[in-house]
Amino acid sequence: MVVVTGLTCPVKVINFSLSNRVLVAVSLVLTAFLGLSAISLNNAFKSSAELEQKKRLKNYVYTLLTAAEINDKGELKMTHDLAEPKFSIPNSGLYAQITSSGKIVWQSPSAIGHFLSLPFQPGPSNEHYTVVDVDGGMKLQNLAFGIVWETETGKELDYTINVAEDMSTIKETTASFQRSLWYWLGGTGLMLLLAQWLILKWSLRPLHDVAKDLHAIETGEHHRLNDEYPRELKQLTNNINALLDHEQSRRQRYKNSLADLAHSLKTPLSVFRGELANNHDLQSLKSMGYEQLDRISTLVDYQLQRASTEGKSSLLAPVSLGEIIHKIIGSLDKVYKNKAIRHQCEIERDAYIHADEGDMYELLGNLLENAYKYCKHQVHVIATSSGNMVKIRVEDDGAGIPTRAESYIIKRGHRIDTQAEGQGIGLAIVSDIIMAYEGNIHLERGRLGGASFIVELPRI
Amino acid sequence: MRVLLVEDEKHLREQITQQLKQHNLTVDAVADGDEGLFMGSEYPYDVAIIDLGLPKLSGIELIQSLRKQGFDYPILILTARSRWQDKVEGLESGADDYLVKPFHFEELIARINALSRRASGWSNPTLSCGPITLNPATQEVTKHDELVELTAYEYRLLHYLLLHAGEVISKTELTDHIYEQDQDRDSNVIEVFVKRLRSKLDPDKQLNPIETLRGRGYRLNLPRESH
Repeated sequence: MVVVTGLTCPVKVINFSLSNRVLVAVSLVLTAFLGLSAISLNNAFKSSAELEQKKRLKNYVYTLLTAAEINDKGELKMTHDLAEPKFSIPNSGLYAQITSSGKIVWQSPSAIGHFLSLPFQPGPSNEHYTVVDVDGGMKLQNLAFGIVWETETGKELDYTINVAEDMSTIKETTASFQRSLWYWLGGTGLMLLLAQWLILKWSLRPLHDVAKDLHAIETGEHHRLNDEYPRELKQLTNNINALLDHEQSRRQRYKNSLADLAHSLKTPLSVFRGELANNHDLQSLKSMGYEQLDRISTLVDYQLQRASTEGKSSLLAPVSLGEIIHKIIGSLDKVYKNKAIRHQCEIERDAYIHADEGDMYELLGNLLENAYKYCKHQVHVIATSSGNMVKIRVEDDGAGIPTRAESYIIKRGHRIDTQAEGQGIGLAIVSDIIMAYEGNIHLERGRLGGASFIVELPRI
Repeated sequence: MRVLLVEDEKHLREQITQQLKQHNLTVDAVADGDEGLFMGSEYPYDVAIIDLGLPKLSGIELIQSLRKQGFDYPILILTARSRWQDKVEGLESGADDYLVKPFHFEELIARINALSRRASGWSNPTLSCGPITLNPATQEVTKHDELVELTAYEYRLLHYLLLHAGEVISKTELTDHIYEQDQDRDSNVIEVFVKRLRSKLDPDKQLNPIETLRGRGYRLNLPRESH
């Protein structure tokens, strides 16, 4: 649970899990959807049942008309048996009555005992639907239908046929429809929720797997995440793997530097100890002491530098080589002001590299300082990029390769403590950084007559 | 030549102060950035040596404030951090040079001398005017290649006059640049030193190296030699 402190009062924000979020949202949507469907289905059913009833009533009217006859006296008689048996059964819920000029002419047997006051006279060929209340709390849907009967003598007789049906029948059908509707919809809803939950579990499984995988890394069971993750997670797991690899190589570098440091410090220390035991000339002891101290200090610097090298990683943001080169040259111009050095920079605009800024400062700083130190008056820097590589060329007009090559032959894995004493560590650091970035460096005669260092580094 | 030293580590501060004094430099040493800022803006220094990791006000902030206030004397950074990013940051803040700890005292002295020379327009490691040459590294003064023996204050005085050869320098300015902050100052003593310098550098009164401009000060009147 995350607690966010607001301006006036602390507001608590519950941090739902992903599956809870989806489940809650889907349940809400599903409930709303099913509820609305139920309401509209119910309404549709109800109105169709009512329509059906009206149609039925009209059919009854026609049935009655077919069965009715006018006798010689001009009286209306029901001759045939009525096709609908409900008319004959008392209290069947279906009632009929024919009136003429306000008087009941005929009543269906089912209506006997009921006083059906059905005073509707809609007029000839008109139909009129109403709901009427009768004694005993019964509600009837009534159709009043007006007819004009022309006798053989040409006399016109007005009749109103009322057919009424008990509304409780329609209510019952609706209720039973509603019941089954709710059962079905509820069942479907539950099924959908269950399916949703299963789908969710299945789709979120890779996330759980990643978490488990990460935990296994924490406990040291594996070193990397495995590669079989869905496409959506692949970017993430690949990045985590890159980070892990980077960390691992850095840890290895720390370990190596520490071991190298401890190892390489032992030489000057034992030399000094030996001198302290055997040398009785204070002056020479002093100079020996200084020499070994210098050596120790250089070793510490160098190994510290090596340990702090970040090294290649695809996760590092791009850094602009031009910006770093300009800053370093600005600094070197200050420090070497007396030498009045002319520098020339040709830096491509897209000379950038995904690397640690500190590493690039170190690499370029040492290369450029070397050029400033050994040049006569001119230093030339060119940075170009082609494809996935950036190329940096640092040239000077100082003493050429033969005189300098000896002290600056750069080899892979060349360790400072195996070099002759008194050498600077600048180029050893340069070579280490280039190695950490899987690049390469070589030295050739430059156009200015001095040395020309060419460094090539992969961009990512 | 007067130097400001801002270094929080007591032993190193004392060692550097001692070394600088042995090289006949006038030194004011303080232990934190705030004091450094006060001293640096209060007294006329020729060079400042500033450690980067200072309490109260960091070295970088101290340099930035001094430069912002318009003080343009050369500043040398002392730092334990040898990474280039730190060096560039220090130099961009307004310093002129840097020295990574641990360092040789000779190296420190050489850098200070180089910075002060550069600031007053000298490009050679030795200061030569006419027949007189002063070597700040060895603290030797020669005339026609013959050694001239000078006392500490005479040397300081000559060093300052040579650095600013051709400029008129007041007695107060001379006092400020050869005495430490907590020393008794008596500007009349300057006259005595000048008189002694004249007699040592020009015993037969033919060269007249130091001119007195009444009411204004002194001027070293020999041409700067560049070789």
